[in-house]
Amino acid sequence: MHKLPYLAINDEGFIFDPTSGDSFQVSQTGLQILSGMKADKADGEIAQALAETFEVSLEDAQRDVADFRASLKNLNLV
Amino acid sequence: MDELHIGVSGINAIDNPGPGIGVARSLKEDPDLNVKIVGLAYDAMETGLFMDWVVDKSFILPYPSGAGDVFVERLLYIKRNHGLDVVIPNLDAELPLYIKHAATLADHGIRTFLPSMEQFRLRGKDRLLDIASKINISLPRTKIVNSVDGLTQAIEDIGLPVMVKGSFYKAYKSNTVSEAVSHYHDLVAEWGYPILVQQVVTGDEMNVVGLGDGEGNSLGLVGIKKLSVTALGKIWTGVTVKNEKMLAAVAEFIREFKWRGPFELECIVNGKEVFLIEINPRFPAWSYFATGVGLNLPSRLVRRALGLPVSPVPEYEAGKLFIRYTYELVTDMTNFQKAVTRGEAP
Repeated sequence: MHKLPYLAINDEGFIFDPTSGDSFQVSQTGLQILSGMKADKADGEIAQALAETFEVSLEDAQRDVADFRASLKNLNLV
Repeated sequence: MDELHIGVSGINAIDNPGPGIGVARSLKEDPDLNVKIVGLAYDAMETGLFMDWVVDKSFILPYPSGAGDVFVERLLYIKRNHGLDVVIPNLDAELPLYIKHAATLADHGIRTFLPSMEQFRLRGKDRLLDIASKINISLPRTKIVNSVDGLTQAIEDIGLPVMVKGSFYKAYKSNTVSEAVSHYHDLVAEWGYPILVQQVVTGDEMNVVGLGDGEGNSLGLVGIKKLSVTALGKIWTGVTVKNEKMLAAVAEFIREFKWRGPFELECIVNGKEVFLIEINPRFPAWSYFATGVGLNLPSRLVRRALGLPVSPVPEYEAGKLFIRYTYELVTDMTNFQKAVTRGEAP
């Protein structure tokens, strides 16, 4: 099951999974990526926004998005 | 509304707490029910006897054994001399007598809202396979045994470690055959046959408290995950969850078996798989959690038992925390003395 739409996410990066009862804390970077994924944006679009917000290269931002997505997969959240 | 005298048992809030105090608190929190709690205790040191902000009057009952005539007579005494409109029994051992004598109690104006004896028997662990398959969840591999030979064969089939369980109460994890044999003998001595040998499953410990109307409908359900437990395995902290598969299975349980009254389903959830571990035909000790998130199940039970309107089932929010804590009270010996000498207090 794709859990992303059901996750409760607050402004401080606290994530609660209502199905499993697990909770997570993400950084501001993670929060921006997660919010983008939840809004169904493509990874490229999320990376572009990330590069602008945090003033990093697009390449770094793309790698961060890919790493973060892999972490979410490991946690069975996507 | 006139005062309602509601009897609540299991009022011993110790390290293995009875469900009664949570039930009583819930009833007191319904602003439209004018409730006076009648504590039904079996010992003069049950904590509820001293918690006068929760329990208004307490009576000591005889143990629920034998045919139950003395037990029923005690309840009728309370009805005549104090008032007793509804009883919510919260202890497994007393449920068979309440179910057996429900009609007699009702004839005397004491209402209950309980499962039938057939429904009550469903809690037997030897019935869980049938239930799990009917409500579309899993049961850990389970063998029913009646001898040490059967036990060792079951362990060979399932593989160590195993849970060795009494048919109704108690369960021990066993890492070796000799440990399992020792637990087997202890359980047979205490609870008799049969004994269940069960695969150990891992995952999150999730429970549901619910109330069925006896016609296949739910009067409310709340799912929780235990975050931490005591050495006795009792919940200490928890969080509300909405595990759809578990909640759907519980709704099916109510529909399929037309469950009447309160219950608790204990499950282990591992990813997409939900294992049924136990059914308790009463409120659990943590049932105040449901009240705290807006679903006052004891109040809904009383309303149903008395034929009062019951509001539509409200939604609860996932992610609410339950924190149990310790507290002390200091009082004089009056209530203890009255309970010992007169069988009631204050």
